[in-house]
Amino acid sequence: MPTVPQMRRVVITGMGAISPLGVGAEALWQGLREGRSAIGPLQHPDADRLRVKIAAQVPASFDPTANIDERTLIMLDRTSEFALHAAREAIAQSGLDFSQNGLGVRTAVVVGTGVGGETTQDEQSKRLYAENSQRAHPLTIVRVMTNASASQISIAYGLRGPTFAVCSACASANHAIIQAAQMIRYGMADVAITGATEACLTYGALRSWEAMRVLADDTCRPFSANRRGLVLGEGAAIFVLELLEHAQARGATILAEVAGFGMTADATDIVMPSAEGSSAAMSQAMADAGLAPQDVDYINAHGTGTQANDVTESRAIRMAFGAHADRLAVSSTKSMHGHALGASGALELVAVVGAMRDSVVPPTANLDKVDPACDLDYVPNVARPMPVRAALSNSFAFGGLNAVLAIKHAP
Amino acid sequence: MTDTTQQQVFDIIAKQAKIDVTTIKPESTLKDLGIASLEAIELIFDIEEHFDITFPDQQGANFDTDTTQSLVDAVQKALDEKAAAGEGSK
Repeated sequence: MPTVPQMRRVVITGMGAISPLGVGAEALWQGLREGRSAIGPLQHPDADRLRVKIAAQVPASFDPTANIDERTLIMLDRTSEFALHAAREAIAQSGLDFSQNGLGVRTAVVVGTGVGGETTQDEQSKRLYAENSQRAHPLTIVRVMTNASASQISIAYGLRGPTFAVCSACASANHAIIQAAQMIRYGMADVAITGATEACLTYGALRSWEAMRVLADDTCRPFSANRRGLVLGEGAAIFVLELLEHAQARGATILAEVAGFGMTADATDIVMPSAEGSSAAMSQAMADAGLAPQDVDYINAHGTGTQANDVTESRAIRMAFGAHADRLAVSSTKSMHGHALGASGALELVAVVGAMRDSVVPPTANLDKVDPACDLDYVPNVARPMPVRAALSNSFAFGGLNAVLAIKHAP
Repeated sequence: MTDTTQQQVFDIIAKQAKIDVTTIKPESTLKDLGIASLEAIELIFDIEEHFDITFPDQQGANFDTDTTQSLVDAVQKALDEKAAAGEGSK
């Protein structure tokens, strides 16, 4: 482990979300603690000709136009709509005013996404290749670019610090949050707006996922012997990270501390996960946060519901935690909000913060029958009241990338 | 026609695995032939394209532990179903 002076601690003072469980971080968290799954029949104009029949989609009650001016709206892909609305909720909760005391200059924006403006890309491709149009929409580029969400948040709030996107498939959210937290640690910013967004349930993307043959046709059943694959989702969660002293000085409500993080690459296979790589990322995150295994009460697992992930992740947790693995609560909230790909880790951080605040661990829904090869306590189907002093949030990506957050209860 | 189907499937496997087609036996698994995970999915795609068929989703199973004979059988079943559907629509 590199030795990093940890004088500057990083806390969360705001969060917002747009998710299949509804509009707002509270809607997401309440749904998860009630064990409510948002997975349902796929709503899509081409649903009839697709093999994939289910998804976890942001409900129609989400109104992207609410309180966003028309000149901004036309710039936004669905991905950025999610991100901007979630950012607005997070920033409102933090109570920060970026126009005061030069705070905008000391604020970074780092937003993860797996693919960026997929809806726009798909629409314009259809226009060019299927309809033989000679022209793409002139705002195609500014909607599609993967940094669009970060830039739109920066523009909306006058945030002039380091601003960029992080793109690492299903680990994008955690990688982004880690970049943001590091900038605060190293003194490059006092505040960072971070998280991730994804909206990629297009005809082209759905066809591509079908071809990989990893999609479930019934529902998402992580760690269950009868699991049949992952269920695609969408959404965004955005957080306000803040230097601890900065938050304390203004009397802000602190939701949790981003205490440490670990990042590794398996360097083995482009899709098959390795327990060694993810286990090392968990150990790094604990060491970085100054946590011993027995200090950790909960892990929000990557838990995709695929054959490969769930067994490998269970083994990796055992490798990282030793005997304490048997006393950990481990759950996969993807069983309820689906797999929002690049945004998953951000939705899952809402779950971790909620668990700490309310002392309730969200369950793994649809867990009928534990796979004998998955031998941990997965909090089946019903939330469990218990104090959560510290938690890990795991995100592992195609490409063999592992990013783990260590979150502590608010100091 | 089964032999023809088998020969065509074996040819596709041989091309994908870059091996001599005569080394493929009906009882060989894809894993035995060095075709793992993503390559197995790619092989399924090549077979679907070649025969213009769609395999049903097979969650919970690993293509790489299937034998080549079970693949040939699956292709034959899909071809038979396609033929039956074609007649039915006449």
